[in-house]
Amino acid sequence: MIRAEGLTKRFGAITAVDRLAFEIPVGQVVGFLGPNGAGKTTTMRLLTAFLPPDEGKAVVMDLDVADHPLEVRRRLGYLPENNPLYDNLEVTDALHFVGRLRGLADRGPRTERVKAVVRTCGLASVVGRKTGELSKGFRQRLGLAQAIIHDPDVLVLDEPTSGLDPNQVVEVRDLIRELKKEKTLLLSTHILSEVVATCDRVIILNAGRIVADGTPDELAGNLQDKNRLYVELKGPAADILPSLERLPGAAAVRPCPKAGQAAEGFVLESEAAKDLREDVFALAASKRWPIMAMSQEKLSLEDVFRALTTGAPEEASGPRPPGAGPQGETPA
Amino acid sequence: MTKPPLLQGRAILALAHRELKGYFESPTAYIALIVFYLMSGYLFSATLFLVNQASIRALTETAPVLLSFLIPALTMGLLSEEIKSGTFETLATLPLEDWDIVLGKYLGLAGVHLIAAGGLVFYPLLMRALVTPSLGLDWGETAGILAGIVLLGLMYGAIGLFASSLTKSQVIAFVLAFLLCFAFFLAGNMARFAPGPVASLLEFVGIDAHLDTLGKGVLDTRDILYFASMIFAFLYLAVQRLQSRRF
Repeated sequence: MIRAEGLTKRFGAITAVDRLAFEIPVGQVVGFLGPNGAGKTTTMRLLTAFLPPDEGKAVVMDLDVADHPLEVRRRLGYLPENNPLYDNLEVTDALHFVGRLRGLADRGPRTERVKAVVRTCGLASVVGRKTGELSKGFRQRLGLAQAIIHDPDVLVLDEPTSGLDPNQVVEVRDLIRELKKEKTLLLSTHILSEVVATCDRVIILNAGRIVADGTPDELAGNLQDKNRLYVELKGPAADILPSLERLPGAAAVRPCPKAGQAAEGFVLESEAAKDLREDVFALAASKRWPIMAMSQEKLSLEDVFRALTTGAPEEASGPRPPGAGPQGETPA
Repeated sequence: MTKPPLLQGRAILALAHRELKGYFESPTAYIALIVFYLMSGYLFSATLFLVNQASIRALTETAPVLLSFLIPALTMGLLSEEIKSGTFETLATLPLEDWDIVLGKYLGLAGVHLIAAGGLVFYPLLMRALVTPSLGLDWGETAGILAGIVLLGLMYGAIGLFASSLTKSQVIAFVLAFLLCFAFFLAGNMARFAPGPVASLLEFVGIDAHLDTLGKGVLDTRDILYFASMIFAFLYLAVQRLQSRRF
């Protein structure tokens, strides 16, 4: 459980974190999303008692972070930004070192824990190597292994997948999915697909404030003011366009040529509440134009992110091929 | 963080152990030890053969200068490297107080210094085997000189650790530590050129006077207190610096 109550941190004239308030219940995975400098890292540093807040308070597992910094840190695993490691330590030595500092004093149980996290994090193949010689993917796994060596209730991961290649991203993501089963997890990222792939909930930060909070779908839904439907119909293009325009509720229709199209593609815009799919089907059926494709276009999280963090309207992101967003397709 | 620090012995020892091991896993400690023994060995044999004295007394005069660059070479990376690489954040978000971190690091360095200074015992032992017993070796003096060198190194170590907390750059940390150590050495030397009240102040702040009394085999609590309070003061400053979290 993590709770922030009016959490504020200033650096000189800059307010890095501005009256942040949120609560993450046990077992939830929350993604902190925001542009660089939005206050993600600072918030995490406040939660881990690395920095003291100027105002407000942070609570982790019902413990006030300011009053019980050590107890909070005992129950929390933290992967700092850029995953700093001791480069001259061997992989298991690094884990033993962190384990000892975490109070796993007896060698026997500590060795068990080291073995367990080596297994969980898939580090077996690099045991015996120095940390400084590891590839970025393995470094990240080692960082995670260090963060979970004491089996914490709460995990705070600052950009766990930054700088990894796509395969490594998937591996680390799987690892996080593995970990999230029993823990409260807060991770930060500026990669949007990351959030969709791993998080139950997204908190979007901008300039130190929460600008959105909800599931990825909710966020995309809330911001949507228009409904867009993409259809591909096989038939004479000259007839299709006017027929679609005549559909009741269709505010605008435009042709949408796209690579790999089986037939003519069109985008129909309507009011958010209006669903045109059945009307399009009826029209196509009556004219005997086979429907080759039909998809409800949703705002992607990327659009939401851009809209919320730059203040630009969604159109500013330019025309996007329908269904290209990470979760943009609803099967017709 | 305003509460008095509750030291966590096991974690401090784990840190110290790691630090000490680290010194001997890299060339740093070996180079420092070689330089230290080369210089002290030369001084010892010079006294022995040129002045015909079986004494490590000459070390008392040279140690403040010799250690003022050897110790900073050992301390320069202690905190600056952690701050630079970001591993300080890892340490500081473990269940440790900043005092634990500083003390752990300091004890690791103290270990290296004790190993170095401990090796000096070899010289008087060698003397005892070589010289006729009637010639005699002043054991009180020898013990005093050794104690002085140990305390001096510990004080320089605290200064070096503080300097290392000030910057991300090891080079700057080294230069700062050297300057501070050297300043304390100079203060004692300048005492004789300064007018009355300033002189006694310089003498008190400087190292020389304290090292001299110890070197004569005189155990004076004022000297012990001088070194102890210097060590505490600089470790305290290092902790304060870390707690500011402004790197």
